[in-house]
Amino acid sequence: MAIILDKNTRVIVQGITGKQGTFHARSMIEYGTKVVAGVTPGKGGQEHLGVPVYDSMKEAVKETQATASVIFIPARFTYSAALEAIDAGIELLTVITEGVPIKDTAKIKQRVQEENVIMIGPNCPGIITPGESKIGIIPGEICKQGNVGIVSRSGTLTYEIIQNLTINDFGQSTCVGLGGDPIKGIGFNECLKWFEEDPQTEHIVLVGEIGGTGEQEAADLVKTEISKPVYGFIAGQTAPPGKQMGHAGAIVHGKSGTAQEKMRILSEAGITTVKTPNEIPLKIKENI
Amino acid sequence: MPMLYEIEGKQLFKENRIPVPKFKAYDGVSSIKTFAEELGNDIMMAKAQALSGGRGKAGLIKKVKTSEAEDYIQSILGRDHRGKPVDLVMLEEPMEIENEYYLSIMLDNASSKYLVLASSRGGVDIEEVAEKYPDEIYKDYFSVFSEPQPYMFIDLGKKLGFEARTLTSFTNIMTNMFKMAQKRDLTLIEINPLILTPDKQIIAADSKVVIDGNADYRQLDIANLKSQRDRHTDLEFEADQSGISYVQLDGEIGIISGGAGLAMATCDLLEFYGSSPSNFLDVGGGADETKIEKSLEILSRQNIKGIFVNFFAGITRCDDVANGIINASKKYEIKVPMVIRLVGTNDDLGIQILEENGINAYGKMEPAAKRIVELVKGGN
Repeated sequence: MAIILDKNTRVIVQGITGKQGTFHARSMIEYGTKVVAGVTPGKGGQEHLGVPVYDSMKEAVKETQATASVIFIPARFTYSAALEAIDAGIELLTVITEGVPIKDTAKIKQRVQEENVIMIGPNCPGIITPGESKIGIIPGEICKQGNVGIVSRSGTLTYEIIQNLTINDFGQSTCVGLGGDPIKGIGFNECLKWFEEDPQTEHIVLVGEIGGTGEQEAADLVKTEISKPVYGFIAGQTAPPGKQMGHAGAIVHGKSGTAQEKMRILSEAGITTVKTPNEIPLKIKENI
Repeated sequence: MPMLYEIEGKQLFKENRIPVPKFKAYDGVSSIKTFAEELGNDIMMAKAQALSGGRGKAGLIKKVKTSEAEDYIQSILGRDHRGKPVDLVMLEEPMEIENEYYLSIMLDNASSKYLVLASSRGGVDIEEVAEKYPDEIYKDYFSVFSEPQPYMFIDLGKKLGFEARTLTSFTNIMTNMFKMAQKRDLTLIEINPLILTPDKQIIAADSKVVIDGNADYRQLDIANLKSQRDRHTDLEFEADQSGISYVQLDGEIGIISGGAGLAMATCDLLEFYGSSPSNFLDVGGGADETKIEKSLEILSRQNIKGIFVNFFAGITRCDDVANGIINASKKYEIKVPMVIRLVGTNDDLGIQILEENGINAYGKMEPAAKRIVELVKGGN
């Protein structure tokens, strides 16, 4: 089992012939991901990394029956690439690209909601189901198949936490890097619910950051709907308070709060919170 | 989130046909009289331009006579406001007020829609209004794909009490404001107060505008405004020009990391082990050697006691990080102890490069963080 992604997921790499696309598509293929096609407009008909390249997503989907795509394309072209993937009928869209204008992301998000597409990112490391498949840039060698589900707003910090778990012999069911942008595809709550339903997952690790209110919403969900043990870490405990912004956000959603406040809210919801990433395996051990 | 100065926001308002009072920028005191003549008024508002709030309470906004304006401007130029000296003052036409409103449009993260908020209790702390009179703040969500038209805001205008000619003015202002948010990639436009004058003009008496830094490439004029230079310290600005996200803190150990989450966790860890970070530094995803080199060059100029380089490379490559470190240590004088932690993509290559140059790298971040703290605290 695991969530979202498994060894049978057929994946298209958008931007496969670029520098980043090539590097990470190769690493995905080596990991075992079923990369069935690449798309680079103008390079259709070529073969790259042993995979056929198409000019458009529509052609690639038609020829390969892929259900997932991953975007390694510069920020200014990401909007168009994402809409192209959605229009081609992709069900799982992962956007690795950093620096996508927020308005573009909001538009992509509306379209994925209308079409019931699962979007991960943008500005994210992607997703890995250890031993089966990965989409994105999470280094496969630090992962190990197991029963800990990870959902994180961070990229590199997620690797840190995965590696600590693996070294301590705790494998992972699926690790999802949600991305660091204010508007993004799926969030903590979708993943928490999927992990709750997933028979392979026995422990859930939630990695948050300062800013936004996703952690608070996750705490509310954990209180009522999640029975599996959840462990939480929030980065930014030493970060200085942000500069004063407008008031509109605070009126609608309340204050987003410091790392300390978020930790307190997670604790109150019954989540085991830790002060450093390497404490997570220790807490899981205590819990077993 | 990058904010604009009030005066820059008002310039954008003007360009987008949102009525604003007459205004002029001053970084000195010349030609005040000309402006007074243009206004045909001996009274004007003098407002220091700052990116932090609380100007009114700090005495940086004042109604002055033309004869007093020069002295007042001179008294506030150079004055510190929350860590930044005032170097720009706006003189503005004073407005007669019949009523004050609150009006904002934001790209709402939770709904990924545009959200319009409005209240006829403007001119005061709107968060307090929201607490005391939640029913008197009107909310309206609009799709990001909306093509704003005046009719969409008639209900809202009526709720605020506008009628006849003022209703038309309001719906036009709202339409222009919405279009401006879309066209200029703004994540927030807040007007508090929006003023109704006794002769039934609706005018934006203040402006708070937040831009989207990710859209800088297609909003070059906004990206080059003075506020976007001033919101950074000189060092932060220099780093930003190289694509490095740098925030000055007041601790003793300089850090270099990749990814905001890990960079924050790196800072947290130094504090956990009893020291403190002197900065936050995130080279961003896919950083090359030159960014690493530049980061070390920046730190080599700081008054710090140690450097902690912490990478868990995904899209970045450890060989690039290692080469950047080697290049920098040849070019710049790094006088303080440095501890490097390097794992992830191509870490075998990166570690090899470092070892060839006599540098050892740690594989785990906790022992590495502990080590740099020990070195800085004078241990061995």
